Amino acid sequence: MESIVTSVLTVLIPLYVTSFLIYVVRVVKGPTLPDRVLAVDSLGYDIAAFMVVLSILLKSPLMVVCGLSLALWIYALDIYVAKFLEAREMGG
Amino acid sequence: MIDLILVAIGLTLIAVGVFYDFIGAIGLLRLPNFFTRLHAATAGAIGGAVVPMIGAALVALGADYLGPPRFFLAGAAFASSILLMILSQAGSHAIARAAYLSGEARVEPALHDALKEREGGG
Amino acid sequence: METLFLFIATVAALLSVVATYLAIRARDMLSAVIFSAVQSTAYAIMFYIFMAPDIVLVYIPVSVGVLPAVTILLIKRTERYER
Repeated sequence: MESIVTSVLTVLIPLYVTSFLIYVVRVVKGPTLPDRVLAVDSLGYDIAAFMVVLSILLKSPLMVVCGLSLALWIYALDIYVAKFLEAREMGG
Repeated sequence: MIDLILVAIGLTLIAVGVFYDFIGAIGLLRLPNFFTRLHAATAGAIGGAVVPMIGAALVALGADYLGPPRFFLAGAAFASSILLMILSQAGSHAIARAAYLSGEARVEPALHDALKEREGGG
Repeated sequence: METLFLFIATVAALLSVVATYLAIRARDMLSAVIFSAVQSTAYAIMFYIFMAPDIVLVYIPVSVGVLPAVTILLIKRTERYER
């Protein structure tokens, strides 16, 4: 059981890292600000899922809380930028 | 036996999550406009984060070499998948509304802008 | 196995260097805040790989939550583009 789970996850993790690098390309290139915020948003959620998967591979199940914390705070960053743009539009 | 079935379903869901992650990343890189990239980003958030978390919960329920804390891993992963299913869509909607209202992202190849007409040309 | 973890940590470290350079060079202050969030996410991955979840739990709320909030309040009071 352990060897099956470890070998499959070892194959899958470099693919995760490759897709994170493609997200980062959009963060760097993004012509406007909402593109960057959107890319950072998706990047943060996927890194949260990556942390949950990695806690199985590291054999330490209590480390899963970090993924939950990262997802909630990335959402807070999103709401900050949205409130900033809307306040600028209303002239405040 | 039931452990092996749970682990197989969980690993399949994690692999499906990697596939959706690639789809979201390539769509975010290649699509031409902000409002079309929004579609790719939400597909990447739901398929690339919620589905692997449910898969990780099933794998943790099946893998008995992790000891009793594996039930904590399964519960936390399932709770964060439920939270993420609400939060990613809410955040994307908030940032799209702010980008439209502040004029930060232009609606460029648009044939008809119904929201602009309804708000009176503003 | 250790090679895989060192690979992930190396990618995260290079990513944090790139994000820090872009945050310094950006003319738009709000983009600098976003790049700073990317850098702190990369650091969070590195702390997670090196088995320090308590530091991750303290580092994420400070550098993804509180620091961008304070900086965005500051930008709202002053001006957005650097001259």
